[in-house]
Amino acid sequence: MNNISLPSFAQRVYSVWYRHVLVYVKNIFSNGIPPFLEPILFLLGVGLGLGGFVGEINNIPYINFLAVGIIAPPAMFTAAYECTFGTFIRLEFDKVYDGMIAASIDIKDLFIGEILFAGTKGLFFSSAVLLVLSVFGLIESPMAIFTVFIGFFTAMMFAVLSLLVTSVVNNINHFNFYFTGFITPGFFLSGIVFPLNTLPKYLELFAQLFPLVHSVNLMRAFCFNSFKISLIGDMFYIIFLILIVGYFAIRRLKNKIIT
Amino acid sequence: MDKIAIKVKNLCKVYDNSKIVDNLNFEVPQGSCFGILGPNGAGKTTTMQILYGKVQHERVEGYEVNVFGHDPAKDELQIKFVTGIIPQEDNFDAELSVFQNLLIYSKFYGLSKKQALPRIESVLDFIDLKTKKASKIRELSGGMKRRLLIARALLNNPRLLILDEPTTGLDPQVRHHIWNKLRVLKKQGVTILLTTHYMEEAYQICDHLIIMDKGKKISEGSPIDLINNNIEKYVLEIIKNISDFQDNNAQNIRVETSHDRTLIYSDNLDAVKEIADSFQPGDYYLRQSNLEDVFLRITGKNFNE
Repeated sequence: MNNISLPSFAQRVYSVWYRHVLVYVKNIFSNGIPPFLEPILFLLGVGLGLGGFVGEINNIPYINFLAVGIIAPPAMFTAAYECTFGTFIRLEFDKVYDGMIAASIDIKDLFIGEILFAGTKGLFFSSAVLLVLSVFGLIESPMAIFTVFIGFFTAMMFAVLSLLVTSVVNNINHFNFYFTGFITPGFFLSGIVFPLNTLPKYLELFAQLFPLVHSVNLMRAFCFNSFKISLIGDMFYIIFLILIVGYFAIRRLKNKIIT
Repeated sequence: MDKIAIKVKNLCKVYDNSKIVDNLNFEVPQGSCFGILGPNGAGKTTTMQILYGKVQHERVEGYEVNVFGHDPAKDELQIKFVTGIIPQEDNFDAELSVFQNLLIYSKFYGLSKKQALPRIESVLDFIDLKTKKASKIRELSGGMKRRLLIARALLNNPRLLILDEPTTGLDPQVRHHIWNKLRVLKKQGVTILLTTHYMEEAYQICDHLIIMDKGKKISEGSPIDLINNNIEKYVLEIIKNISDFQDNNAQNIRVETSHDRTLIYSDNLDAVKEIADSFQPGDYYLRQSNLEDVFLRITGKNFNE
């Protein structure tokens, strides 16, 4: 039986997402275990080790403060790696995209599917951290379940940023600048290991530019059940960044692939 | 008149100020096998990629690109939906099995799993890879991968197959296997467009050919017409003791010397036989002329780089 009509946009995006999931799940052991181990290492290393010197932050034991902070970064890292090195390899070395766009898939379908897959990975990674934290008794509010959806959007945000970088880069080693210059500082300036209000005012304002700050703000709000009006700003930051950067990233990648 | 599957008019493509495709015109009737011949860098692959929207052509005056009534610049998805594309290099997911690769690919065409399963069986059966269904891509030989590319392109029952050098680098058995399959597909009404620089391939399976060089179409016709119109019927190749041949400006023959062989062309078999008799067996090779002779005559014997 032949399919007579073109698959819809949703079907096409889903098929791309499905391809990524199948390839990811193929190595489920090596892909699926580390997300659970990393938060444990972090809590032991930084939480117990450093926590002994820190005591409390904003009347919260340091380990609890830290715990909530570490739900977001794995979503950032997984999306950043997926859409830099992963995308570059699919694009330049494995030529996987050439195969995909030879079927009835266009560039837009291809990268929207990829962004959604990165989001899915973010959701999975944040869930893994949340599960570990719950087992350790570090999560109190049931509202904390919403952090996994923030993980989804966090990963999409870093997916589009990373795709934009990938659209510019011609040499895989150049990603080092992106990671050292943007991802790592973003991690330290996002209120994860220490609260930003301990920084000088200008640095605290500067830190607001980094995307991860906004994810961490939202996650803390849901974990501690303390909501502020500024959270709406965080939400809009994330959504607009995904839409605007995503638009330009896909446009640039299209010009790179369709010559 | 035959229905037209592909029509290309005034097609141009410029990369870095050099014309890769230069004012190309051709038409491919439905159900025929159409070959684009040419040396490396002639613009064959670029021409094909324009047809399914992978490459954007220049918008020169009077241009037209039409694939089953669709313009690839606008309707790339409609074209790709009815077209199977077989690239030069394989681009499978190497970690996954043959079956998983085909299942994923069926989804790109919007086939449900229920629709995809019989299609996968059928294309693997057609290309004789049924036993490799569970194998990983890494475990396949080069010839199997090329056949699997064809199987993958057939998943959505295409009306058009586009093949970029389908048998380059393959052993004779696989080449003949692929040619047979392409003939079967043509009988079923599939239109086939292929690039090649194997003259034998063009001769064996193409109904109509164009020869391209430096982006331009330099000759066109059926394989047999191209031979009849461009070259004498017989060739005597003198391989050893070349200096024994004395060119006495004899009638009915044309002599070409290149590198370390001498080629004597003629429409008169006796004329070349007579010359051949003056050599030892093994010093010469007498044969009918073929597309390769045409090709070399038209595109020149020097490297095209």
